[in-house]
Formats: sequence, C-alpha cells, structure tokens
Amino acid sequence: MSETHFEVIVLGTGLTESITAAALSKAGFKVAHLDENPYYGGDEASLTLDELAQWADERTLSSSASEPSRYAAAQRAKFRSVSRSGSVLPNSRQYSLSLSPSVIPSNGPATSSLIGSGVSRYGGYKLLERIAVFDRLGKVRNVPGSKEDVFKSKDLSLVDKRRLMRFLMFASGEFEGKPELAGNETTPFPDFLRNKFSLKQDVIDAITYALAFCTSSFDPTLPALHRIRRYLLSSGRYGASPFLVGQYGGAGEIAQGFCRASAVHGGVYILGRKILSITHIELSSPPDGTEPAFSLQLDDLEDRLTADLIISSPDYVSPELRSIAGLLPPDTLDASQGTSSVARCIAIFDGPVIFPTSPSQQTLAGSEDPSLTSADADLPVESDAEPQSKVDTAVLVFPPGSLPGASATASATVLLTGEGTMSTPAGKCIAYISMPIDSQDSTPCSAETLLKPYLQATLSSVTTISTPPEALFSVFYTINGHRELYPRLSTADSSSRVLVTPPSSPLLPESMDDAACNAEALFRHAVHLLRPGQAGTVEGLWPPLENQDEEEDSW
Amino acid sequence: MAESGSGAADKSVQVKLVLLGEAAVGKSSIVLRFVSNEFQANKEPTIGAAFLTQKCRLEDRVLRYEIWDTAGQERFHSLAPMYYRNAQAAVVVYDVTKASSLEKAKSWVKELQRQANPNIVIALAGNKVDLVQPSPSASGSGSAVESEDEADDATATPGENAAAAEQPESLRQVPRDEAEAYAKEAGLLFFETSAKTGEGVVEIFTEIAKKIPIEHILASSRGTGRPGAAGRSGGAQEGGVNLEENAAKGKDACNC
Repeated sequence: MSETHFEVIVLGTGLTESITAAALSKAGFKVAHLDENPYYGGDEASLTLDELAQWADERTLSSSASEPSRYAAAQRAKFRSVSRSGSVLPNSRQYSLSLSPSVIPSNGPATSSLIGSGVSRYGGYKLLERIAVFDRLGKVRNVPGSKEDVFKSKDLSLVDKRRLMRFLMFASGEFEGKPELAGNETTPFPDFLRNKFSLKQDVIDAITYALAFCTSSFDPTLPALHRIRRYLLSSGRYGASPFLVGQYGGAGEIAQGFCRASAVHGGVYILGRKILSITHIELSSPPDGTEPAFSLQLDDLEDRLTADLIISSPDYVSPELRSIAGLLPPDTLDASQGTSSVARCIAIFDGPVIFPTSPSQQTLAGSEDPSLTSADADLPVESDAEPQSKVDTAVLVFPPGSLPGASATASATVLLTGEGTMSTPAGKCIAYISMPIDSQDSTPCSAETLLKPYLQATLSSVTTISTPPEALFSVFYTINGHRELYPRLSTADSSSRVLVTPPSSPLLPESMDDAACNAEALFRHAVHLLRPGQAGTVEGLWPPLENQDEEEDSW
Repeated sequence: MAESGSGAADKSVQVKLVLLGEAAVGKSSIVLRFVSNEFQANKEPTIGAAFLTQKCRLEDRVLRYEIWDTAGQERFHSLAPMYYRNAQAAVVVYDVTKASSLEKAKSWVKELQRQANPNIVIALAGNKVDLVQPSPSASGSGSAVESEDEADDATATPGENAAAAEQPESLRQVPRDEAEAYAKEAGLLFFETSAKTGEGVVEIFTEIAKKIPIEHILASSRGTGRPGAAGRSGGAQEGGVNLEENAAKGKDACNC
C-alpha cells in the first residue's frame, strides 16, 4: 500500500475520535488522524487564553472573505451567542482552558481506557475536593460524598439520616426489580425520592442535582439511579471523592495523550489544514477489495490521502457523505440530554476559592497536609460563624429556583479549578458554568444574560472578591443540541463506510465515560468492517500493556 | 515498577527530556545508544512505549531520564503542547552531512524557547560524525541513517550510504565551528556524536545532568505534584492520584 493510503482516516481530534484512533493504531491498523484546528481536542480542547479568545472570535465575527470550510461552517452553526471580555490577561500560555469541563468517575470506562492504554501515565490527576449545593437560603453546603459522611453529619436529624441511609443502600445495590422502583422508572426523580423515601426538600435537592447531576426536576428516575450507583461505586478507589480532575485542562490534555499513544503506534497526525474535499469513490462492481473507498484533498498537501473507512466527528461530514454515513453507536442518550442545548461560561478570577470547612477538618485546623483536604469527608455544617477553608477543585451546584433571577427550571453546575490543576497561573482560578437551555424557547436569551447571575453568585459566595464580583476574563456561549444540527443519521450497519461519532453527554461526570464507551463501539465496528474474519479475535479495546520494566526500556 | 518501590528511587530526580530534529537525523539511534548501548543498523520499528527511561549517575545524585520521542508528530507540525510540557531538557539533533538539518534544528530551538519552560537545558547534537571521519569501518551500510520517507522516529530504519566510503570529510556539510558558534550564541550545550560508534552520546546526557538545576526541581516538585510529566510518580505527592494504583478494581467498569 502506498504512503498516502490508510485503512482508517479519523477526522477530528475530540476525545471519542482520539481514543478510537489510539485503539485502532494499537491494534495494528494504519491510521491517519486529521483536524482542521491547529490544536488537539476539537470541541473538547484545552486552550491557552489567547487560543480561547481566538476560538471565540472565529465563532462571533462575520465570516472572512474566503469560503469557510465545511468544518468552520458547522462550528458556527453549533456555537452560538458567543461573547467574551475585551482584553486578554497576561501569561496566556499558563492557562489550559477546557471547552469541555468534566470530572472523571474513578471507576468507569474513562479510567479503564486511561489505564488500559497507558495514557494515564502522560498526565496528572487530582481528586475532586468538594461537591456543594447552593441552597434556597443562598448558603453553600457541602454534600456528603459517602455513607460514612452521612453518619457524621450534624445537619440531619436521626430520622433523616435513617431515611437517607436507606436510600443510599438502595441506590448502591441491585435496585432493578425492587418494589420501590417498579412502575417508577420514568417518574420525575425528586418525586420518587419524596414518595418512596420520604426525604426532605434540601436532601432531595442535594441528591437530585449534586449526586445524580439531574438537570431539571423532570429527569426520570432510572437513569438518575444508574448514575448515582456508578458514582457511589467510584468512591473510595483513590480516596473518598468519587471523581478525578485531570490536570492541564482535563479532556483536551487527555485527548492529546490518546493521540500520542496512537502516534507511537504508527498513527500519522496532520493538524491545522483545511480539508478541501472528501470524495467517495464508487467501487467497481463487484468490488475487488483493493480500491480505496475515499479520497481526501487537504489544503497545502500535494498528495491526496485515501482511505477504506472514515470515522468522523459530525462537523466534517458533508451532505453528500451523509447518505452513506451511519451514526455509531446508536444514539442512546436519553431525550432530556440528547436534544438539549447548553449554555456555558468560562471565567477567570482571582483565587482562592473558599468553601465551608467540614467538621472533621476543624479538628485538624491549621493542618496544611493537603491529603487531608482532598481525602477527608465533607459534611454539611451548621453553625453561626462557619469556618472556611481553601479548596483547589470543587463543584458547586445550583438547583432550579435556588438563585433569584436565574432559571427556575434548570440546574446549573460550576466546576472550579485552581492552580493545583496546573491550568492557571499561580493565584488564579477558573469557573466553568454549564446549564441546559430549552432550545424550543421562542425568545432565547444570550448565554451571557442567562449565566451572569450564576457567575456573580459563585464569585460572591466562594471567593474573597469584593463587590461587585467581577471576573477578570470571561467567555459565554451556547452549544446547539445535536439533533437540531444534524438530520438524524441512521445507525451504522455493515454498509456504512463513514462512521459518525455521537455526541457525549454534557453532564460534568458523564462526558468522559461517554466518550470512552462510544470509542469502544466505534473501534469494534471498524474492526468488524475492515477485518471481518478477525473481529472475533480482538478481545478488548486495549491489548495488555507489556511488562512494566520491559516497556520502560523499549520503544 | 520495582524502582518506584525501592528506596533508591526516592533519591533519584526525574527529568523529562524531549528529542527534536529533522526526520532521519538519528534521534532514535542516539537514545538507543544511550539507553541500551546498542546500535542497530537494521533497526526494526520497535514502536509502542510511551517513553524510555534511563538512569544517569552524577556524583551523589541519580537522575532518572524520561526520554520522549516525537513519535512522528512533528512531521506535519502537529506536536502536542503535552510534548513540551514540564520538559527540563531537550536534545536537538541535526545531521552533520546535511546542512538543512541544522537550519531545522535552529527552528526547533526557537520553538522550544517559545513553548517550553524557560529554564530548559538544551543540547545541540550533530550526529553521524562517523560518516565524516576517516575510518575503515565508516563505509556506508551501517550508518545511523533513517529512511527519509518514514519520518516517524519510532520507526527508524537503516539507510544506504555507499557514497561515504571514499572521501568522508567531503560529506560534511556542517562545519563544527559554525554549529558550535551558533550553540554558544544561543546558550546551548554542543556535541558532535555518532550513534553508530557511541562517540559523544553519553556525554550529552551527563553534561545535561550537570546543568539541570536539581535543587530547583526537587523544591518545585514538592509544590507541583510531579517532577516530570509521568503520572506514575505523582501518586505519592501532593493531591496527585496515580491511576494505576488500585487498577484491579477498575476492570469491567464499562457500563455501556
């Protein structure tokens, strides 16, 4: 085969595509991996501050004279209502700002892929220190992360503790088929908690929005229970917190790691070049198996690249290709997530971030041992003068209706990351705010209008910034829901030669696991198409890593 | 893993070192010579590891180099920021028989000064010096030449260089003086090397080791959580988590 022919060309270096490329390269396939952006990560990239400003400008300013590529046009349709602060801060390169803020469940497909592929060794990870709820009284309350935390809580009466414990036992076990659940699978989750476990409202809020990460009071019970069980089972693997935060901007850095893993196994990487055309070559009939199915023309590259199979982010798929494209795996996101659009904010502010101290930490007051801060139980606190402590990573959840003047129907989550995540210069912190929005709304507000109240509430409740609470730099935007942008693709079958990657859930703890699951399905389907006879011989997504000592001394 | 479990590893300082240079100048061969004291004329593409590690003893200290190869990602200017991140040392390689490779090396030095940490120690290495030395064994076939069309460093392959047999010095396109003067001006360590004979190779790494601000790394690693980029050493440090600990629990975790 020639130098320019590949078994698979992967378009887009988002996390799903990058994991897929790494798995295919490791399995011995000849892979080329392309991205029009000059950086890795696509819609999950981690950018410097200058890059983020440019990213925003490219999606705001009126189109330049030259014809935008298919990708550029798709990006403009996907990212709307983009606004940013005028001036950029110094030390741009010390920022690693994530377009896809996420936390990683310690036990799940994403961590399995990171470990199985060896990519975990490229990056650094920290435990998420806190999850807290902004309650209806405007107070920040830590959410207990484990059963042990509940026992220690001074916030709950004995009866409430018993009820909560009963729920946690239920949710961490085999709840399928239990009488509590029967007939309630699609019941709104808060109603289920109230009716079946007699929990009080603030506990229901904490469970619904900060434990299950529901986005509204109508989210169905069964998927919420599945999420809670996975998070409960993640707790304790690396510490009390169920979640990890990836350093250097999380998803974008991890995508780079998978791309590197692909490259060391022979994957060819071409970034920053426009894809001028993707041509489907009609095969002679009957096909003799030696002709490539696709031919790609890239800007500033003389030779065309050819491929047997294309795996692509939807943004690169032209209408002509759509007829032979299939979505893979089938879009399994439940309707509430799959169709909704999301408003996002990325804001930089002066640290530190300060949260209520948990009682167990008070007994260790003055201790600088960071392992205690990160691993200790977090408890709700109720006292007149609440002691507070600095945290480097935290999630603050605003249940619907908790913030006057903000959404009464949707919850907003705020991921806070400080200098310990190596994604900001010393002393600076980043707030990532996400909120689903009703795309059917006939009078849509701008992302900035929707999210500004959350940004201000966050800054005034967990920082020492004096009023008015202003960020040093901020970007607001909305991401259009998947189904409005792309006509429904049929599920890929054995005739699809263009496999389109499905979107990942926008929920903080779900997006990475979704990417890993989707990548595995893409990988298996690709193996099945390219080596039909061998599909059965590929056991796992990742071949076993070689003996550690050996590997250290060989390429 | 045995190392990280033993006491000796605690005293060693981990140093991330990145390799840069035009395709086919012998980057992989230099590392192979340093790490396993080998030269393989018919080097098979031995791809697959994240990075190579090699200890380097310096007086009472042990440096543990974590050597990162470009894995071909430089071919279309697609090196990830992750590659430069936390690199404390870089070896920029050119080929003494190819003038253009020094120009490329200079542009890599600029890129390092732009992308990498400001205290990075950079060494410039003019490789394949065996080809320009009058030596009976210098004739062609075994030289440290990588095939041109396989730019992927990890797939270094032997090349043919029959022309080298006759007048070795005439093959030289980069005078030592010129490269050395550039290195001095740019503040780089300078070596001429032969991965084939081993000349100058170990010296690169020991001279870098002398110049690395070890105390600074030790001090800062306490603060940042990890000395190099590898997560595996991060677990023991501040707030960092080594994902491979408790890895057994993570099997079959896919819920999809």
